[in-house]
Amino acid sequence: MPPESNLQPPPGRWGSVLAWVVVLAATVFTIAAALLYEHSRTAERRVIEIRAQAPEKGNFYPQRIELAAGERVRLRVRNIDTVGHGFALPALNVGIAEIKPGEVADFDITVPDEGSEYEFFCTVWCSEDHMRMRGQLVVLPAQARR
Amino acid sequence: MFRTDRLFGVIPLAWRLELTGYPIVRQLLKSRWMPFLLLVFNLFVFTVILLATFIGGVGAGNYNFGIMIIWILWWVVLMMILVPGLARFWCTMCPLPLFGEWLQRLTLVGVRHDEKKGNLFIGFKKRWPKSLSNMWVMNFLFLGTTFFSAFFTTRPVGTFILLFSIIILSIVLSVIYHKRTFCLYVCPVSGFQALYSNFAMTEVRVKDPTICQAHKTKGCVVGNASGYGCPWLLLPYKFTRNTYCGMCFECFKTCEYDNMALNLRPPGTDLLVDENRHLDEAYKAFIMLGIAVTFFMSMQGPWGFLKDWVNMATLPGYFAFIALHAAWCLAVIPAIFLVFVWWAHRRAGPSEVSLKKSYINFSYTLVPLGLAAWVAFSWGIILPNGSYILHILSDPFAWGWNLLGTAHVPWTPVFTGLMPWLEIVTMVAGLLFALDFAYKLAVQTYREPAAAGRAAFPMMLCLTLATAGLTWLFIG
Repeated sequence: MPPESNLQPPPGRWGSVLAWVVVLAATVFTIAAALLYEHSRTAERRVIEIRAQAPEKGNFYPQRIELAAGERVRLRVRNIDTVGHGFALPALNVGIAEIKPGEVADFDITVPDEGSEYEFFCTVWCSEDHMRMRGQLVVLPAQARR
Repeated sequence: MFRTDRLFGVIPLAWRLELTGYPIVRQLLKSRWMPFLLLVFNLFVFTVILLATFIGGVGAGNYNFGIMIIWILWWVVLMMILVPGLARFWCTMCPLPLFGEWLQRLTLVGVRHDEKKGNLFIGFKKRWPKSLSNMWVMNFLFLGTTFFSAFFTTRPVGTFILLFSIIILSIVLSVIYHKRTFCLYVCPVSGFQALYSNFAMTEVRVKDPTICQAHKTKGCVVGNASGYGCPWLLLPYKFTRNTYCGMCFECFKTCEYDNMALNLRPPGTDLLVDENRHLDEAYKAFIMLGIAVTFFMSMQGPWGFLKDWVNMATLPGYFAFIALHAAWCLAVIPAIFLVFVWWAHRRAGPSEVSLKKSYINFSYTLVPLGLAAWVAFSWGIILPNGSYILHILSDPFAWGWNLLGTAHVPWTPVFTGLMPWLEIVTMVAGLLFALDFAYKLAVQTYREPAAAGRAAFPMMLCLTLATAGLTWLFIG
């Protein structure tokens, strides 16, 4: 003789509402939160991304950056290589000894007066062509600001 | 020789520990919030994965959340813990077919049920073709995905394309076909879990078959107001092996008599269940073993030219990789195995058993061996690369975040000195299980102990040589 029935009722209306809330939190809210957080980090400054690879694989990209005088920007150097690279822009007093493969380094700068051209370069002996791993920051008139 | 009803002649294969005997486990599995909350957690993780692989910054190889979580963490956990320990527990919490299932049910956690019509679904509710109701589609799809392994495992967008394609395909098939047809017959990840879960140490089974015999309404099949009839289109009251049970636990919710059990058991028990054994499952075993070898050679081996082939450095090289990899998995391994089975068949002497039947039966010896090869391969993934996880948890989108303060933890391989030993121990353990089941399967196939003993020898030699070859590959 089978024992007595032992079924449990499914969640009611509030259970369904709760289910929707957690699903939306896991998806829509997660995406929105990530984008908003990143926006809040970068709202004050335009982010200029520079990808770093050894010269024979692509060098700094872009190698020439044109910015308007007085502009406040964040230089984001991303090492997409499989060896370490460094970054130095001595004229603006920014730099880092090493950015490990896959890592990112941010530098907040205020672009100085127009007409100047500043060199940035890698600070790690990354390959035989290491000395070629360099680029230029070119300052445009303030009117060129985005 | 060993008793065939005991693992290694010692542990009774009939031994079970009913985990649902603990009230907390039973209540958990009867609740509709399980596995819902697990699914939602993984939905959150996969949302981050999809976002990271689609718009996240381009990091170097392993510095992408999607690549790290899928190909380093998930794959390793799946092969080392989930499948051998908990059978198809990944299917319990896999979020990829979730949208299709919710669309069919039009509810997230509730049950749409009508006393006359039963569980309510939308969609065309068609039946999957009978000729494809096996593992062949999954076999070829999984093998097909490995042709693009370099793209999927090293390019974030590759991982995105793969996952997004699976989600879209599951939704489309859920609209056309009944219940979890996609998971049963199409999902590339489903097939090897199905086969390898026969080795797993857990199972979902009926507690007392006589209760099911007396019970006419069969809520586990047709559903009721508390849950859905088996979404995997099975008859839970007849479960004899893990292969196609996706462990969704709906049968725990629909059983009026609490007659379903989640059991702990000795590993490999289902390898001896001679039910619905076909060539598709044998080929799944060959393909999985073949892929393990190819992956190891191309990802962890010292052969640079092979990496170039797989990485599509040149088109001729890439086509050579596809041709050799497919031939290795679909022809070479099955042919080598056939030679040993033919030899075993001859040694067994005259019998009514066909060569094909022997071939299929003995192919299950490759389950513990294949699983061991994948676990050994996984050591080579997680120990050198596991430390990347700390980085990507802090900076999941490679936007320069440092959420947990671990974004700049350097790459730190751990216990890599132990790796060869762990690989040897893993392969030896896999071989011991394979040898034990080779003898048991020989007895099951040829019945007579003397014939079984003679037939077992070539198979044991085959498995030993395969293990020696794999071990040489891993540590050589």
